[in-house]
Amino acid sequence: MKHGISIVHRMLPALIVFGMVALLLTPVDALCAAAPASAGAPWWIWVVGLFVFSFILGIVAVLGGVGGGVLFVPIVSSFFPFHLDYVRGAGLLVALAGSLAAGPPLLRKGLADLKLGLPMALIGSVSSIAGAIVGLLLPAQQIQLMLGIVVLGVTVIMITSGRSGYPAVRKQDSLSRALQLSGVYYEEFSKHDVSWQAHRAPVSMLLFLVIGFIGGMFGLGAGFANVPVYNLLMGVPLKVSVATSGLVLSINGSAAAWVYIFNGAVLPLITVPSIAGMMIGSKIGAKLLPKVNTKTIRMTVIAILALSGIRSLLKGFGI
Amino acid sequence: MKSATEASSQNLKPGAKQEGGYADRVHILYAKTLDFVSHAVIVAMVVGYVLYLTGLLPLSIPIDAIAGNWHLSAADMQATLHHPSGWSFVSAPGGVLHGDVISYMSVILLALATLFCLAVAVVVYLREKRPLFFTIALGQFLVLVIAASGIMAR
Repeated sequence: MKHGISIVHRMLPALIVFGMVALLLTPVDALCAAAPASAGAPWWIWVVGLFVFSFILGIVAVLGGVGGGVLFVPIVSSFFPFHLDYVRGAGLLVALAGSLAAGPPLLRKGLADLKLGLPMALIGSVSSIAGAIVGLLLPAQQIQLMLGIVVLGVTVIMITSGRSGYPAVRKQDSLSRALQLSGVYYEEFSKHDVSWQAHRAPVSMLLFLVIGFIGGMFGLGAGFANVPVYNLLMGVPLKVSVATSGLVLSINGSAAAWVYIFNGAVLPLITVPSIAGMMIGSKIGAKLLPKVNTKTIRMTVIAILALSGIRSLLKGFGI
Repeated sequence: MKSATEASSQNLKPGAKQEGGYADRVHILYAKTLDFVSHAVIVAMVVGYVLYLTGLLPLSIPIDAIAGNWHLSAADMQATLHHPSGWSFVSAPGGVLHGDVISYMSVILLALATLFCLAVAVVVYLREKRPLFFTIALGQFLVLVIAASGIMAR
C-alpha cells in the first residue's frame, strides 16, 4: 500500500506536467479557445475546467518554484473562451490571494520585512495602477502579443538568473541606510541567526517601478522579477527575498486589481474557482515538494512557460 | 553586482534564538490582521459562490447571460449587462441580496485585505513614533485608498 502511494507520489507530478505539455501542443481550434462564445459547451464545463486547471497549475507552480499568476494568464487566455480582460483580472486576484495566504507565518518569522517591502511596494503599486489602466486601454490582440514577449522574457530570466542564499553586502548606499534596509532572521536549516543588509536601493526602486507596471498591465504576479532584484541586486538573502516579494506582490496586486474591478473586468464566476483551485493545488504541491525531483519539474515548467509564451505570441499575431 | 554564489559566512552568527523573537510589534500585528482577514475572505468566497451557483438567492444577472458574453471585453459586457463593477453594488436597485452580488462582494473583500493590514501598520508606526515608516506606510495606504475609490479608473 505504502509502495503504491509512493509510486503515485512519484508519478503524479510527471503526469500533470505531461498533461500540460500535451495541452499546450494541441491546436487551439481543437480546444475551441478561439471560438466567439462558449462554443456550445454549457457554462459549467468551463467553470469546472477552470477549477481543475487552476488546481493543476497550483501544484505545478509550487513544484516548479514559480508564482501561479505568471502561468495562469498566458495559459488560461490561450485555452479558455474568456476575454483577456477577465483572465488578467482573475490572474491578479489569484496572485493576491496566494500571497495573502502565505503572508502571516512569514511575517511572524521575520522573513517578510515591511521596511524592505513598503518602499518598493509604494513605487510599484503606483506603476501597477498605471500598467492596469494602460493594459485595459489597449486592444486585446496587442496585449496578447506583448504578453507573449513578456512571458518569453520571464522564461529567459528563469533560465539565466542564479540564486544566492546569503549574498555578501559590504557597504550600504546612503538611501538603503536611510531606509534602514537591514535585519536578522533565524535560519532553521543551519540553526543560526542570519543578519543581512541591502544595498543599491535607488536602481532597485527604478526596477520595481518597471516590474509594477508590467504586473498591472498583464495581470501577472511579479515574483519572478521581485525575487532576483531583492536577492541578486540588493543582496538580500533568498528566503527574505522570496517572503518580502510576496508582501510587495500583495500590495501591488491589490492596487492594480481595483482598476480591473472598476472596469468590470472581474467576474466572480471566473475569479473564485481560479482562486480556489490554485490555493488547494498549492497546498498539495507544498506537500509533494519534498518527495519529487524539483529540478526536473522546474525545467519542465520553464518549457511550459516558453510554449505558452509562444502560444500568446502566435495568438497576438492572429495565428 | 556581486557574484550570485558569493556567500558570506560573516552573515551567519552563532547563538540560535527561538523562532518568533525576530518579528517586531508591527510585523506581528500586520500578520495577525492578515491572518484574520484572509480567513474571512476564504469563508466569504465559499459562502458567496455557493449562493451564486445554487440559486439559493436570486441573481441580478443570470449565469447564462454572463457565460454568453464572457468572450466580450469588459467594456462591451458592461455596456450589455451592467454587471457589478467597483462599488456599484452599494447603490444597486435590487439591493445586495443577490447570489452574484454577494459573491462579487467577497472578491471586493479580498481586494480590501491589504488595506486593513496597512491601516494597522500606519497606526503602529504612529504610536511608536517612527516618522519615516509612518510616512511610507501612510503613503502606501493612501495609494490603495485612491485605487479603491475608483478615481484612477478610466
